[in-house]
Amino acid sequence: MKADGILATLDHWGRLLMPGVVLLFFVLLTLAPLHVPYISDILPLLPALTVFQFSLATPERLPGPLLLVMGVLLDLLLGGPGAPVGVSALGFVLIRAQVVANRRFLVGVPFLFQWIGFCLLILGYVVIVWVFTALFTWTDLDAGPALGQYLVMVVAYPLLAPLLARVRPRDPLNVPEPSRGTAQPGETTS
Amino acid sequence: MAIRDDFEVAAGQVRQAVQRFALALLVIGAFAIMLIGKADTVLVENARVLALDLASPALEAIARPVAVANRTIADLREFATLREENARLREENSRLLSWQTAARRLENENDRLRELSQFHEGPEASFITARIVGDSVSAYVRGALLNVGRKAGVAPGQAVVTAEGLAGRIAEVGDNSARVLFVTDVNSRLPVQIERTRERAILAGDNSSLMRLTLAQTVQGVQRGDRIVTSGHGGSFPLGIPVGEVVQAGDGTSVKVRPFADFSRLEFVRVVDYGVTGLVGAGNPPATPLPPVGPRGR
Repeated sequence: MKADGILATLDHWGRLLMPGVVLLFFVLLTLAPLHVPYISDILPLLPALTVFQFSLATPERLPGPLLLVMGVLLDLLLGGPGAPVGVSALGFVLIRAQVVANRRFLVGVPFLFQWIGFCLLILGYVVIVWVFTALFTWTDLDAGPALGQYLVMVVAYPLLAPLLARVRPRDPLNVPEPSRGTAQPGETTS
Repeated sequence: MAIRDDFEVAAGQVRQAVQRFALALLVIGAFAIMLIGKADTVLVENARVLALDLASPALEAIARPVAVANRTIADLREFATLREENARLREENSRLLSWQTAARRLENENDRLRELSQFHEGPEASFITARIVGDSVSAYVRGALLNVGRKAGVAPGQAVVTAEGLAGRIAEVGDNSARVLFVTDVNSRLPVQIERTRERAILAGDNSSLMRLTLAQTVQGVQRGDRIVTSGHGGSFPLGIPVGEVVQAGDGTSVKVRPFADFSRLEFVRVVDYGVTGLVGAGNPPATPLPPVGPRGR
């Protein structure tokens, strides 16, 4: 059943654009001078969380090229002389690819599994960023702060994930319950 | 019907193949961007500046309510310690008043002596006040974004100071935005001197809250509590801006300096326009954006 009219069109576009807009917001929020302990720690990893969370439900609304652009934007804004531009883009693209490839283990499963999946993928992301930043600046970067951020993020995930799942543009309630958890690689719910 | 199903299956397979290929393409694209960024630093610099200019209005919109909230929280916290704070301030005030008398006397004396010896001071410094609209603090960078840029007279290499002391230097400048690299950043190298002995040294950040002091050669040594000020070498910084205080010194251990500026509560800073930057001749306005004075290529 499909509704027509302006509202339906708005709804359609809203759903389509929501993940990208949320990602852009978190990319900008990374730079916000919040100065709050712990919260400031997780800010740099929030875009990665967004990519992970939206890739679970609606990967087609975060297309690869968009992730590339957002990653480059994040690197440009975050700055730092000599830091590689594009490493976040690489991380985002890989996170999305991994989530899409492993949907069977991540969608419609108990939350604990999703959490473990998140921990693994974000660890990969943090390691990639660290390795490339160290390579590009050719210094033995202290990995301590990055690991600290990672740990805070892992702990914060159960708090943030349900929040984002609400923001996530859910399709109308036409996804039959039994079909959840049986998604195939590449399959989407739209 | 069967033909259509077959077609759909084939189309699905093609789509899957494209998707797999797309991943490889995207990864290659990301690598290509990284390599281009490494090869063409000017391009990256320009892209950074453009991104900064585009993002700074949005960042400002985010920063204002955050600043208000932070201030409210700080206010509430201060209420709790109002009495002690008041007593402390009164005591400090009486101490500072005596210092002020001494400073006035010395300033007068200094002026006289300068007149006598026909001493010419360096260019007058003017200040540009800026609001911090963004933190550029990640695991690997210590910096901030300002809401003033080239239009206000900001140029790369200028010093950024707070009421307490030096915060950093301008690294990149857009039309209406600029990026500060804090003195604690791993890329920061600052020519300084020890106030007590006037010995020169280099102050380097390492992304932690303390900085490392490297003395060229030392006769009198350095001890805990020594104040570190800018030496004015390199020309872009005025002489004598307080930077920090030695908190760890001794044989065998490296000398650590704690910055005076409190980076966790920065809201407004001042950009010191010293008239000339180290690389430009006097009276010659910088036509092209200059690379930041300091760390690169050392």
